This record gives sequence, structure tokens and C-alpha cells, in this order.
Amino acid sequence: MKFRNLLPALGLLPALWGGAAVAAGAPSEIKIGTLYASSGPFAAISMPVYDGEKLWAKQMNAQGGVYVAAYHKKIPVKLIAYDDQSSTATAATLYNQLISQDHVDLLMADSGSVLTSVAVPIAKEHKMFLFDVSGTGGTFFTKDNPYIGLMAIPVSTIWPSAISNFLDDVGVKNGIKTAAILYATNDFTGTQAHSLAGFLKKAGKIKIVYDQGVPTSTSNYTVLINNIAAHKPDAVIELGFPNNEIAFLRNLQDSGDTFRFLFTVYGGTEMDLLLKNVGAAGLAGSYSYVPSALYSYKVNYGPTLAQYRAMWDKEYPKGSGVEWGSNAVYGYQACLVMQRALATAKGMSQMDIHNAVFALSGKLKTLDGTFELNSEGAQIGEMTPMGQLVRKGKHGIGIVAVYPPEFAKAKAVFGK
Amino acid sequence: MLIGAVVAGVVFGLYFALVGLGLNLVFGVMRIVNLAHGDVLMLGGYAAWWLLSAFGLHPLVAAVLVLGVFIAVGYPLYYLVVPQLQRARDSEMLSLILFFGLSQMIEAVTTIAVGTTERSLPGRMLGIGPFILLGARLPKPWVFSGVVSAVAVAGVYLYLYRTRLGMLTRAVMVSRDEALATGIDVHRVSALAFGIALGLAGVAGVFAPFMLGSITPAMGPDINLTAFAVIVVGTLGNPLGTVAGGVIYGVALMLMQTYYSSWANLLPNLLLIAVLLVRPEGLFGRKTRRA
Repeated sequence: MKFRNLLPALGLLPALWGGAAVAAGAPSEIKIGTLYASSGPFAAISMPVYDGEKLWAKQMNAQGGVYVAAYHKKIPVKLIAYDDQSSTATAATLYNQLISQDHVDLLMADSGSVLTSVAVPIAKEHKMFLFDVSGTGGTFFTKDNPYIGLMAIPVSTIWPSAISNFLDDVGVKNGIKTAAILYATNDFTGTQAHSLAGFLKKAGKIKIVYDQGVPTSTSNYTVLINNIAAHKPDAVIELGFPNNEIAFLRNLQDSGDTFRFLFTVYGGTEMDLLLKNVGAAGLAGSYSYVPSALYSYKVNYGPTLAQYRAMWDKEYPKGSGVEWGSNAVYGYQACLVMQRALATAKGMSQMDIHNAVFALSGKLKTLDGTFELNSEGAQIGEMTPMGQLVRKGKHGIGIVAVYPPEFAKAKAVFGK
Repeated sequence: MLIGAVVAGVVFGLYFALVGLGLNLVFGVMRIVNLAHGDVLMLGGYAAWWLLSAFGLHPLVAAVLVLGVFIAVGYPLYYLVVPQLQRARDSEMLSLILFFGLSQMIEAVTTIAVGTTERSLPGRMLGIGPFILLGARLPKPWVFSGVVSAVAVAGVYLYLYRTRLGMLTRAVMVSRDEALATGIDVHRVSALAFGIALGLAGVAGVFAPFMLGSITPAMGPDINLTAFAVIVVGTLGNPLGTVAGGVIYGVALMLMQTYYSSWANLLPNLLLIAVLLVRPEGLFGRKTRRA
């Protein structure tokens, strides 16, 4: 064999050698650090997220691990999770522990804006990319911080565009002229309330007659409802956490007051929970966001909603104490993005992970909708259509999308 | 809006008088702070939820059952915990630590048993729709809770001032040592007061889903903070002053919700600080503490 015939083969040697070296240097496991709240006020939104993450990790390991492009092989995942008990102080300590002592490869935040708020500066300081599951506070996403991406739900500032567009369009046609906004003063609902007020004022079609914040710990709304009723609004938009909305809807039923349009955040997003606590009569006719847990999107990656629900029910059968809801989807969705990013990232540096996640923007379609980030890492895809809750039988309730038109499955019905 | 807020505040405050009554009774008789009080209340709420789910028992029946069972549990629990505490040099501080631990334990066990999500009792069980009182529209369950609270307060009053055991209880409240010296069975009297306190907390728990929207295993600490504010305002160790404390808290909360709603959760802390600075002995307290 002539020497020049050997050249191509010789040229391949470094690549082959390099590949072997990379595989040989691969870690025995990919460590994913996260927190969950088993107790305290955020337990209800945190535990389903964590259960979704555990389900994903179990599935990956059953298949031999997650495919990591940087090592050209599947590697088992290890979920390192600590209980922050809904305390931001504890969460701050534990996020630091995950980074500094456990040396996790990937960092995932606890559920919700409050427990994510402490993770954002810590991740930035350690130059660790934060897989922000559902911390939607608008202030988390800034031009000077490339170490964050919102995985599962849109940033709070764009959520209420569905409400304002609906009211300005369909609402006005149906005689809605005035609105009252009552919100819990936290990053998630506070940002939504301010954005909603801004959208409505900008459009100028609906007058805001009541706009008040209440502490997130508020557990009775009787006087607040009386005060709202005194302003005679056509539309009432209540933005709170599940505990707020359960108390609000129960007190509203007790008050005997009715409004032509009533909106709550969790009437749709945690429908089963609210149905148990409020009852069908208290929810029927009200409006809410249609969550991904109740809307089947076309997917190009991962399971469909029906497939995931089947997996969930198998893993957490009825009576296991684990609730199905939007948060069950959010945890799994964050892991799907992570899975896809690992399968495409050129290396395992945090900026490689950042680049891989951002490269998925606009292309990844999962059970949670279209994953799309803006340049600051805020989620602007995964839109939340407007839905109306309707009775299903005597004690059941369902939600149908009514706006925007491309999502609508039924026509909105306004109260008298 | 003002009259509505005041009337609603009085009725809501009556419920918080019931919430604080047991805590104050324990402090008055035993000079210990039961930091698990809010968790006992939470257990009362879950007991009512379980009795309804499993046996279809109406909350008013559940309240009677919970009262009896919690008194029965509280009586021996006193002997298990309190006498040892009182033998210690700094029993008040030790009681804080011990009952804090108990509170954490109750919350953890309840979380394991029922999960973390909110639970409620159907509002219709105590009537749906408004009850008009002095022009104010109040939820019917509030009226039930207010009446039950008033009955409980009257019951505690009758017990303390119209029964022999109540007289002995008041003697222990004045001076435990002197009561002991005069031959009063201090432990028996205290154990009964401890049981009654737990029973009252349990009954308050039965009505919690109607007054607070829902119950969760984590609700105890928030309840404790509010109950503390109520009993400090109404005088520590004076169970009947708790009624005034509860009503002041309720009215102040509703006024805050009406005029400065964003700041309403500061109220228990503000009341505590204000009373401790201006009148540390509480509204009905003496100038010197009888500890």
C-alpha cells in the first residue's frame, strides 16, 4: 500500500483517538441539583414539579441514562434534591450547597417565583446556568445575566395579554366597560396585575375601577368582595395563588355577588384542586388560563399530553397523595429541555449548556407548547389561551379554550 | 364600606377569640406557651374533613366530637409533657422549644398522611349566600362560626366562674404555689384546662375551612402568630380578655383590607409591637405580671 493511500486513514486517527478520550473522560453520572418544598405555603406547587422531575430521571435511567452529546454516550442521571421547606433563606443556603459542595453539573430551581428569586443571583454569581422551571418574575431576566432560561411557562409580563386582548376584543363587544383587579402581592401575580392594568389602560376601552393588592397570606376576602361590588365592575380579575383563589371563590359564593366576567389564575391551571375545595357551582362560568395540562399541543419532542398523563397515572396512581395539574407538566417539561440540550450541547461548560438551550428556542415543541426564549432567557412561547370553565355533569367541571381564535374551541358566554 | 368592615370585623374577630382562647387558657393556668396550638387547630380541621369524607358527618356534629376527643387526648398529654417542664428552672423558655418541636412533628406527620395541598369542607354545609347584619353582607358560615365562638366563650366563662373546678382553676392562675399549699390538686386542674384548650383549638379548626378558605398542614405557624397577637392585646393569662383581643384584631384587619389592603398581613405584628410598647400588660392586665 502506498503511503499516500494511508493518508486519509491517518487523518482520521486524531478524531478517533480524541473521541475515545472524551468517552473515557465521561463522568459516571450527570448530577442535576434541585430543591423542593415538602411543607410550607409553596409545597402545593413545588411537589408536583419535583414528582415530574423524578419521573423523568427514572425513565432516563431505565433507558441507560440521558444522551450527552459532549461525551457521545448515554450517562445515568442523579437527581440531588434538598427540601427548602418553602423558606427562601433555607433555599439560598441549599442552592449554594448544590453548587459549591455537590458540584452539580446542572442546576434547576424550585417551583414558583418566590423560591426561584434567591436562585437567580446565586446562579449568576457562580456562572451556573439556571433551569428556571416556573419562576416567572419579570425582574429575573436581564441583559447582563446569560445564566438563566425559563423552561415551562411564559414570563409573568405576557400572561395577562390573553386577558386584556380578550376583554378589549370579545368583552367590549359584549358590553364589558369596567374592570376590577385584585391581586396577591408577589412576583408572579403582582407582575401580572401591573401588566394587565398597563395593557387595559393603553387600549383605553375598559376603565379600571378597582385595583388593589393583598398579601399572599390573605385567607378571607369577604370585605374585599364587598368593596369590589361597591364599585359595580363588569369584570373582576383575581390573581392569586391557589390558597388565595380558594378563599376568594368560596367567599364570593357566600356573598351572593355575581359579575359578568370573573377570572382566576388557578381555576384552570389547578382545576382539580379548586374543584375539590370550591365545588363546581363556584367555578362554573368563570374564566382562567388554559394550562398545558388540559390542552393537547402537537409535539416534535417527548410524549404527548395523553402519553405523559398515562405515565403519570402509572407512577402516581390515585390515592398516592400526588396531584395531577399544570405543575406536574412543568417539572417534566424542564427536564425535556434539559434532555434535548444535553443531546446537542458541544461541551459541558455552563455557556455550552446556555447555547444549547437557546438554540432550541422556537424549534422545540413539547406537551407544554412551543419553547421560545427571548434574548434574556424569558419564556415568550408556551402561550396561555383564555378558557371558560363549564359544568361536566352534576359535580364535575371542565375548561374550553375561547380565545384567541386560533385556539378557541367554543364561544365565550358572559354572565347577566 | 366602613360599617360593613366594622361589622364583618366583629364577627371575624369572634372567631379569632375562639382561636386564641385555648392558647391563653394554657398560658394563664400553666405559664407555658403552646407553640403547637396552631397545629392542633389544623388537626381539628383535618378531623372534620376526614369525618365528612369518610362518614358524611356534618361539621357541627364533627365539632362536638372533636371537642370531646381533643379534651380526652389533651388530659393525658398534659401528664406526659407539662409536669416535667414545670420542674425545670426556665419552664417558659423550655416550653417554647418543646412545643415548637411538637409543632414541627405534627406538621410533618400530617403532610405525610394527607399531602400538602389545600382541603376544605363544602361551603353549603353551613349555608350559602349572604346573611345581612346591620346592612353588612356576611357569609352564613361566618355567622355559625361567630355563634359557636360566643357559645365557647360563654362556656369557658361559666366553667371558670360558676363551677368548683373553675374556681380551683382560677386559684391556680393566681398562684400555682399557693394553690398547691392549700391542697388543690394542681395537676388535675391543669390537665383539664390543657384538655379544654386543645378541645377549643380543635373546634376552631373545624370552622377554619369556612373562615380561612382552606386548611393545609403548614397553616399552624401563621395561626400561632395571629393567636399570639390576639391574646397579648387582650392580656396574657386572661382568657376572657381574648374576646376583646379577637374583636380588635378582626375589626383592624377588615379596616386594613378596606383602606390599606397591601399592608394587611403586617397587622398582627403591628398590634403586638404597639401593645408591648404602650401597655405591655394588655388591655385588661394589671400593672405587674402574676407569673
